[in-house]
Amino acid sequence: MLKTSCSALLAGVLALHGIQASAQETMTGAGATFPYPVYSQWADDYQDAKGIGLNYQAIGSGGGIKQITAKTVTFGASDAPLKKDELDEHGLMQWPMIMGGVVPVLNLPGTEKNSLKLDGETLADIYAGKITHWDDAAIADLNPDVDLPDTAITPVYRAEGSGTNFLFTHYLSQVNDEFADTIGEGKSVAWPAGVGAKANAGVAKQVAETEGAIGYVEFAYAKQNDLDHIRLRNHDGEYVEPSSDSFKAAAANADWSNAPGFYLVLTDQVGADSWPITGASFILMHKQVEDPAAAKRVLEFFDWAYANGGDAANELDYVPMPENVADQVRDSWGDIEGPQGESIWP
Amino acid sequence: MNDTTLQNFQTQQDSSTASEGAVRGPYSEAPTPDKGQPVTRNESVEENLSVRVRDLSLWYGEHQALDDISIDIFANTVTALIGPSGCGKSTFLRCLNRMNDLISSVSIKGLVEMDGRDVNARGMDEVALRRRVGMVFQKPNPFPKSIYENVAYAPRMHDMVSRKADQDELVERALRDAGLWNEVKDKLYEPGTSLSGGQQQRLCIARAIAVRPDVILMDEPTSALDPISTATIEDLMDKLKQDFTIVTVTHNMQQAARVADYTAFFHLGEMIEYNATKQMFANPHTKKAEDYITGRYG
Amino acid sequence: MHVSTKRLASSRFAFPGASDKEIRILKRNALIDRAFERSTQAFALAVLLLLGAILVSLCVSSWDTLSAHAVDFLTGDRWAANMEMFGALPAIYGTLVTSLIAVAIAVPVSFGIAIFLTEKCPEILRRPLGITVELLAGIPSIIYGMWGVEMLAPFLNHIFPDLFPAGSGLATAGLVLAIMIIPFITAISRDVMLTVPPITRESAYGLGCTTWEVVRGVIFPTVRHGMMGGVVLGLGRALGETMAVTFVIGNNLFFHPTITGQGTSIAALIANQFPEADGAQRSALLALGLVLFLITFAVLATARYMLNRIERRAA
Repeated sequence: MLKTSCSALLAGVLALHGIQASAQETMTGAGATFPYPVYSQWADDYQDAKGIGLNYQAIGSGGGIKQITAKTVTFGASDAPLKKDELDEHGLMQWPMIMGGVVPVLNLPGTEKNSLKLDGETLADIYAGKITHWDDAAIADLNPDVDLPDTAITPVYRAEGSGTNFLFTHYLSQVNDEFADTIGEGKSVAWPAGVGAKANAGVAKQVAETEGAIGYVEFAYAKQNDLDHIRLRNHDGEYVEPSSDSFKAAAANADWSNAPGFYLVLTDQVGADSWPITGASFILMHKQVEDPAAAKRVLEFFDWAYANGGDAANELDYVPMPENVADQVRDSWGDIEGPQGESIWP
Repeated sequence: MNDTTLQNFQTQQDSSTASEGAVRGPYSEAPTPDKGQPVTRNESVEENLSVRVRDLSLWYGEHQALDDISIDIFANTVTALIGPSGCGKSTFLRCLNRMNDLISSVSIKGLVEMDGRDVNARGMDEVALRRRVGMVFQKPNPFPKSIYENVAYAPRMHDMVSRKADQDELVERALRDAGLWNEVKDKLYEPGTSLSGGQQQRLCIARAIAVRPDVILMDEPTSALDPISTATIEDLMDKLKQDFTIVTVTHNMQQAARVADYTAFFHLGEMIEYNATKQMFANPHTKKAEDYITGRYG
Repeated sequence: MHVSTKRLASSRFAFPGASDKEIRILKRNALIDRAFERSTQAFALAVLLLLGAILVSLCVSSWDTLSAHAVDFLTGDRWAANMEMFGALPAIYGTLVTSLIAVAIAVPVSFGIAIFLTEKCPEILRRPLGITVELLAGIPSIIYGMWGVEMLAPFLNHIFPDLFPAGSGLATAGLVLAIMIIPFITAISRDVMLTVPPITRESAYGLGCTTWEVVRGVIFPTVRHGMMGGVVLGLGRALGETMAVTFVIGNNLFFHPTITGQGTSIAALIANQFPEADGAQRSALLALGLVLFLITFAVLATARYMLNRIERRAA
């Protein structure tokens, strides 16, 4: 409730601010929290370079979708892509802007840090409440060298609807059919066991305080806080470490050109080095815009970000989109039209 | 304190002071009987000492409400405390069962002895004291319980009865003693508040005597009642003194004259005069008491 | 002369001999008074209207859920928005269990504090303690939530690792709620206990009753409706509490018949999901809101009724 009222207040303040700012050529957007750090870094750099500011409200993917359908912002942002028919329903288009990964983290005293190995099947069974102790045979088989304690497993998950939830459940549904049937993928799902905590920080804290807990957070958060993470077995059967490189490896094999409306979730990708829970965060815009000047400003910003934002993204532990994907995105912008049907880009 | 030696001793002292008082005449401002003794004792009755108060002073914070009170109260008598409003008579009454303990700003100096024991002594338990000193208040105030339970509650709490039959007997006896039994015997389980004002007050008396105290304190027990109920209560007081010592505060001088064996007159926190009731009303020794009794103020 | 008689006959304000000016002023004042009366009436009605409007809008916006699967909604054992399975049972269960735990803990403690404050507390401590209780009642719930997640949950996990493997859960939420409603129930209990006339209290003490006997046998029976009212108001607060509960309840959306394990409450579930919800999920959450509204409304109406009874009797 507090969150809603806060964001309402924020929206109000920003709306007021927006009236003044439009004169100074400001861009407005709202949505996902996951890419917020990198968007705001880009916005700062862009302000320095071009003198155009960005008002981005990190209110969550759902809020972003609501605001863009209501046309109160020029662009929306969502961690989970919309399906083709959802896009068409609201006359929207979307494209991937930045990538990141989700990392399972754990608190299991007696094991070496960052050493525990799991595969997707087992991870799904843990989260389905079917594997309840760390010395379960399924885990022991994957870790023959580790002396596993008989500690109970407490799965920790994100309590509120989030893009991180979507990526994680999407992955588990890919690799475990029973999980797909009983729990399924989504921004908010019903977990049969364990504890729900708020946001990355809440999950990390709950894991840190609970012996035997396992959780999942965004890679940037896990890395910056040096959490004990799990090595996952990917589609090719290799155990990989979460890192920018393993995310890039997953992205490199993605076939964006055959994904209508750029609907593609990069979980369980092929490739020996691919991290299996990788995903992109998406930008949403109307295909037919009412204010072509504002739309053009926003597209110029994203164009600039694809070209110049790589370093900032890497520094913040995000993964920039590969150049060929950026080009495909730029091509798709040709579909955006002004009120008279005129093309806006380039 | 009921041995005859002491009694004799006091009686001797009495006679000497009484004669002195007589010499000084009835209107002397300062009768000087022995401390706490009435100016005149009732003749031909063997009266034992029940409550002995010496040099009792009481303050509400800074305000002194009682000033150096000394009084002897005799067993199986009715003693009335009279005086104008605010003279300290109710405050004094509440010293006898330490009811003033409930008010934390009160400080007390002096001695209150009940059957030879100092009630304010460090080792004295006020709950034990109050079991021996019952109290009846201005306004009838039955507990929010049935008539039966009003009477039975405290005895049961004190483990005076264990069997239901004993309890029934105790309730009946208390209600009979309070002269209420015939009126309520068919509706013992109706709420106490369903009775009339006079009946409620007699229920409160029954409640007080059910725990078999030695002393019953009554704080203007009839001030909220009609004349008929008042007369019933007055009769009751007369009967009850066979078993109990009664100290009553009253506004009504006729009532004091009717029911009390002894009367003490209070004024502005001091006890001005203490005497056998007949003497007090016929022949008051102090000007202030006379003025009050004859209705010059009050 | 003719005009004047007519005026006299037609005006309520015209007594014989009244001047035109007098009548004008009287008329004006009457008009102002009527306008004032009407506007206060309008404000009062607006509150009723608002209540009705909230109820109606909740019903309308949750109609999709209620009309399509009212039974599933109330009995479904999970709230899986991604599969469009909206079972309110875990949330209703969690709401009731946490609130009942809270009341079970808070009632004896609150009554104890209230008894101490009214019967035994030295005069100099009475005001400071009373004010402290009132201040506690004013602390924003989010602070209790932070305290719960920072201190209480780890503490419970440390002391009873088997019962509280993760620290959070229904019992933890119930404890936090108990601490939140204790000042509330205490303040009301103290106030109603003070309505017992001193004479009633004294006559019980005068019979040689101990404090406990006086409280149990005389004070409680005298004010039991008021104290019940206080408890139910506390219960109402516990039922609707959101932030503090969301932090420590565990937010598990499956129905588990557990006391110490994780679960969710109606308010926590709405707070977690509403910002991101649309379509069927939004409608289901609104239906959940309607359920909470009805539960709380019933509880508060009961409390009001009980408090009215004691007020009537006191008068």
